[in-house]
Amino acid sequence: MENLGSVALILAFCFAVYSVLASLIGKWRDKPFLTVSGQRAVYTVFALVSAASGILLYALIAGDYRLSYVASHTNKAMAIHYKFAAWWGGQEGSLLLWAFLLSAYSAVVVFTNRRKFRDMMPWVISVLMLTEAFFLMLDTFVLSPFQVFEAGRGNIVNLGDGQGLNPLLQYWTMVIHPPMLYLGYVGFTVPFAFAFASLVTKQPGDAWIATTRRWTIITWLFQTTGIILGAGWAYAVLGWGGYWAWDPVENASLLPWITATAFLHSVMMQEKKGMMKVWNMVLISGTFFLCIFGTFLTRSGVVSSVHAFAQSSIGKYFVAFLAIGIAGTIYLILDRLQYLKSESHLESVLSRESSFLFNNLILLASCFAVLWGTLFPVLSEAVTGDKISVDKPFYDRINIPIGLFLLFLTGVGPLIAWRKSSFESLKRAFLWPTVLGASLMIGLAAGGVRHPYALVSFGLCLFVATTVLMEFYKGSRAISAKQGKNLLLGAIELTHRNTRRYGGYVVHMGIVIMFVGFTGAAFNRDATVEVARGTETDIGGYHLKIADIQDGENDNFAWDKALVTVSKNGQVIGTMEPERRLYKASKQPTSEVAIRRRLNEDLYLNFAGMSADNTKAVIQSYVFPLVSWIWIGYWVLLAGTLVCLVPPKVRLQYARTEVVGIAGKHATVEK
Amino acid sequence: MLFAAAVLLTVGAIAYTLFVRDKDLPQPENATGWEHLEQRKVRIYEQLRDLQFEYRVGKLSDADYQTTKTNLQTELAAVMQELDKRQGTAPPPPPAPKPANVCPHCGTKFPSAMKFCGACGKEMA
Amino acid sequence: MICLAQSSSQLLTPDIKRVGGRLACLCGTCKNTVGDCPMLECHYTKPAREKIAKLQALGTPDDEIVKSFVQQQGLQALSAPPTTGFSGLAWIMPWVAIGLGLCAIYLFIQKFHPKRATAGAPEIDSETLARYRANIDKDLEKLD
Repeated sequence: MENLGSVALILAFCFAVYSVLASLIGKWRDKPFLTVSGQRAVYTVFALVSAASGILLYALIAGDYRLSYVASHTNKAMAIHYKFAAWWGGQEGSLLLWAFLLSAYSAVVVFTNRRKFRDMMPWVISVLMLTEAFFLMLDTFVLSPFQVFEAGRGNIVNLGDGQGLNPLLQYWTMVIHPPMLYLGYVGFTVPFAFAFASLVTKQPGDAWIATTRRWTIITWLFQTTGIILGAGWAYAVLGWGGYWAWDPVENASLLPWITATAFLHSVMMQEKKGMMKVWNMVLISGTFFLCIFGTFLTRSGVVSSVHAFAQSSIGKYFVAFLAIGIAGTIYLILDRLQYLKSESHLESVLSRESSFLFNNLILLASCFAVLWGTLFPVLSEAVTGDKISVDKPFYDRINIPIGLFLLFLTGVGPLIAWRKSSFESLKRAFLWPTVLGASLMIGLAAGGVRHPYALVSFGLCLFVATTVLMEFYKGSRAISAKQGKNLLLGAIELTHRNTRRYGGYVVHMGIVIMFVGFTGAAFNRDATVEVARGTETDIGGYHLKIADIQDGENDNFAWDKALVTVSKNGQVIGTMEPERRLYKASKQPTSEVAIRRRLNEDLYLNFAGMSADNTKAVIQSYVFPLVSWIWIGYWVLLAGTLVCLVPPKVRLQYARTEVVGIAGKHATVEK
Repeated sequence: MLFAAAVLLTVGAIAYTLFVRDKDLPQPENATGWEHLEQRKVRIYEQLRDLQFEYRVGKLSDADYQTTKTNLQTELAAVMQELDKRQGTAPPPPPAPKPANVCPHCGTKFPSAMKFCGACGKEMA
Repeated sequence: MICLAQSSSQLLTPDIKRVGGRLACLCGTCKNTVGDCPMLECHYTKPAREKIAKLQALGTPDDEIVKSFVQQQGLQALSAPPTTGFSGLAWIMPWVAIGLGLCAIYLFIQKFHPKRATAGAPEIDSETLARYRANIDKDLEKLD
């Protein structure tokens, strides 16, 4: 079986290369036969990579422990969905997942555009398949997932059972977090391919943007979801209550997310006014290369990280791919500058356009700060020879002010009209949001909140929330007044007319809610206590009583568990059971954290272990105010993004110019 | 068995990829060469509509509204002119003079423009 | 020494936390600081906290404690790079980047300033404009 898998991968690699050649030569020599066979090769690659993935999955699930990949990442005791997840649990398999997702995306792209963009498609296919060939090359010639254990030549060893997946990763979000992130990472190849093709073939309009708009939004959503799932996992599983540690690999997933967010905004400038074409090219290319760069960071061992796969030699291939790709893209953009000229100018400095400039500046600045912090240890060691650490305090100090300014812009942008705004209308628009935000800050300060960033953050959150709600209110009032509907129906009608804008506002609302959750971290409290049965202790208004400490074991793990009675203001409000397990196969301990999730704060108990003399249990107790709002904010963001994807109600009905001869004939334009 | 499967896979893949019949070749795309202008026209209309709406909602001052509207209309007219040029159609005829609110026949003034005079009944234009 | 008799869990007084926040946990598996590393028997953080407690018991000021860690482990003992020397670049560059970005925005606005820029849209004379405008106005009335 594994030989068949290898054959499929080698064939897929060959067909990916063939697809590039056939598409380009077919276009160059104008041989439609070749371009069509280049398209078909994309389907073939998809089929072959699917076959290889299927074979690997079969081996993982059936337990073919002759394969070193299977033996290193699964064992017999694992539940079937974790065996499935082992597909991306290791280096080789996750490279195969990359290749599989990209081939699937490519097949979808080729199919949906099979009758469109005769000019661009060969180049789109070439970019997609070159990237595909790169990953297939790694999976075929460098790190094959179908490697078997050999003792001597040709003497295959069956280990009988494997080492299993790290028990920390045996948690439900871990089954979907990596593929979600990959769906995001890989997906940005498609808009990049279209942008590249549009540039190579000197397209006059920006069809690539219209074509890939949905694609970009969906990809962005996948990536957001992946990041949030990772955060949720860290919070619920790792036992220290954090959801973001500024680890290099986390940063690597954040970088393309930031540039993609910037792209989603600045692309509106191009659509509305035909401006910033070069910049949008740079952003989408940057996003794509940051995705590759992120994959590289995770795998090369360049920076040390919790998440990194075992170090391997594949770093140099990534460096080569990135260097060639970036150089080629820069050359192409410079060479085509005259096709990227602006079609219009700024009517006024005080306009939505300018606010987009600042939005992009701040997003890119935070992207740079994160990238800089991630790479600085490497740079410093190379230049001065000193190893240094860049941890949370650095990122917090740099990114909190940047993040708050971004939040401020989130509120300001939508209030400024496109093209031209006067101070008068701005004053009117800003009055209430500013008054409300400022009063909240004053109120909180009077109420004893002394944390400056937290004050500013809460004030801004209310400021932005007010602007968003006002947008909805004013718009739906106008509609309901005109059509005699009630306000709610008016709001729905309003959103349906311009799903992208109002969906976007909902996304902003989600971000605001998440910021509320982030800000709660300024008020975290924690205490670590050694307890025996009957011990009582306090944390942040909660009174904890250790009712019992139990232990036991089963086939898979041994466990210690504390039964903690929680009371507040003298009232018993529940029992929590933090637990600690020691998995037998891997000899690895894990925490089963007990979390009492409420909207105002989470009470979080972690059974950290037994005391040195093994008589007492060590319980780490935390109070995390407002943390639930991060997850709620995500759901709002998700809803908003989905709204953006709904096709807007038929947008325009306008008479064609009467010269056509049929006066008043209505042309309906759907977008 | 394994060997046969591998051969089958290879042959199948090659056959599918290379066996392109005449009827599989794509029909020529009827590209006009001015899709991007059409697209721009639609986008400007959309912005005009949006502008009207924002004005109605009260987000814009009168002056801003008028300036932006004129700008957009000029831009749109330019695009339409370009489109007409490429399509080989003539630009629209000069607009008909607006109906007046003073009757040229009897001189009666009306608060709004009318087609026929409410006083003498004759055509006002 | 009293503090040495204490177990690791009690070694996290606010004082230790304050100093520990400036020191990176170098155990190699986490990205925490000595002040908030949650691993109970962390082979780096635990002795580090003991050392902090010991020095604090002797009345050593925060800076001196941090310095003693740097002497032992090098600059990597700090949880954030120092603000002096080459590491200062780590702190400066993000703001330099913002500054450069602001310059770029300034140049952009200058370049596309209404008074200076030549509009990219094709030119149109007022007579033709009037012709099209009539149509546009008519269309606009139908738009809602």
